[in-house]
Amino acid sequence: MSITDLTSMGEPQTEFRKEINERLCKLQDEISDYCFQCAKCTSGCEAHKLLELEPHKIIALLKRGLIDEMVNSDIIWTCMSCFKCHERCPQKVAPVEVLFLLKNLAVASGKQIPGNYTAMLQSVLSMGLLQEVKSITTRENKTKTRSNLGLPDISKPTDPTKFQTMLSKIAIEKI
Amino acid sequence: MKKYALYPGCVMPTEQYALEMSVREVLPLFDVKLVDLKGFSCCGEPLKSVNQMLTLTLSARNLAIAEKEGLDVLAPCPMCHLALSNCKRILDKDPKMNERINKFLEDEGLKYTGTANIIHTIELLHNVIGIEKIKEKVKKPLKEFKVATHYGCHLFRPSEVGRPVDSENPQEIENILKAIGVKPIEYPEKLDCCGGLLTANLPESALTKTGQKLQRVQEQGFDVFIDVCPWCHRQYDAKQIKAGETVAAKLEIPVLYLTQLLGLSLGISKDKLGLDLNLSPIDKLNLGGK
Repeated sequence: MSITDLTSMGEPQTEFRKEINERLCKLQDEISDYCFQCAKCTSGCEAHKLLELEPHKIIALLKRGLIDEMVNSDIIWTCMSCFKCHERCPQKVAPVEVLFLLKNLAVASGKQIPGNYTAMLQSVLSMGLLQEVKSITTRENKTKTRSNLGLPDISKPTDPTKFQTMLSKIAIEKI
Repeated sequence: MKKYALYPGCVMPTEQYALEMSVREVLPLFDVKLVDLKGFSCCGEPLKSVNQMLTLTLSARNLAIAEKEGLDVLAPCPMCHLALSNCKRILDKDPKMNERINKFLEDEGLKYTGTANIIHTIELLHNVIGIEKIKEKVKKPLKEFKVATHYGCHLFRPSEVGRPVDSENPQEIENILKAIGVKPIEYPEKLDCCGGLLTANLPESALTKTGQKLQRVQEQGFDVFIDVCPWCHRQYDAKQIKAGETVAAKLEIPVLYLTQLLGLSLGISKDKLGLDLNLSPIDKLNLGGK
């Protein structure tokens, strides 16, 4: 079991990809009915001013079926997942959820995952948590650990092998 | 006495120790027992961009661990709280997905049945324990600080999933602060995002978001910035100087966890609340005591 399996850079994650594609196609139909481009999502978007993400345009492109183009674009990775568009959309389209699907599809299609996501994923696969337990520095530059501070041992998967087996099944799930 | 399984998540137990310490100190004073369970993993929410099935499975797995002990779950991290709540919402009404996720969990001898409820610290303090009870326990009313509050997006959105506080005008943290004698003041940027989730792929932009908000907080003359989320706190506290650089501002805002400030007013010592771990300039608040 390696990170390659879960991100399918090695092998195509056919089933998962098919599933996301179906959901996107279904969304494409629904959105055609619902979204009337009021751009309320974009007007409140936390990533709009800084990174030029325009959720209503993403939805417009999806309506036109330009899924591959978006999957290959970097703009889908600028979403901060603040869920404001999910909350405020008067038509319950929730662009943030569409962006999650597009990013999932980008990963399942073997496109490189940006930045630290690979390391985070690797860490969850190997020890169950996003990162190792750190020793930290106080304002007075003293180093402290969990046990120094009287905190109990960290909770993490007790049997890493079984945990990894479980995760690997997500990667290669065939229905 | 109320009993909850403490679900620590990742960021809190691997580096944001002040949050964990203050939660563990404050809640027992209100007759809440926190139970430590073995075997928890990441909630999966930070990896939702990579694979949503992974997120759902990891959340269900953690809930299943608590269910085995017959306990409800306290999740101090809003992101974990969202992931677990969303997982419960999906699996409780979609039997097909439920079955599919449970197939994954079989290997570890776990089964998600939907018996465990999920609660956040704010919900517990505000709705279960109650403001009156908090007022009764205050030993050391604090100075009338001018306080800016920050809830963290995942605590109040999306309301469709069922969030602990209102999505457009949350007042729970304000009510708790008023109970301990400090003065929360509304400001236009209160619900703005910290940008913390961009750290994974666009760290510079994440810092800019943080800097922009803190700069506005500083300009409006606040004494202290109160948050509850370990992701947000990491941005505002540990990365404050760097965040300031991205907006060309020298930021000097003391940042504290709500549970730290609450703990102080309840008479808990500074050491036990991890006050030496905050990297923002909290000394200028002259919080006194040991």
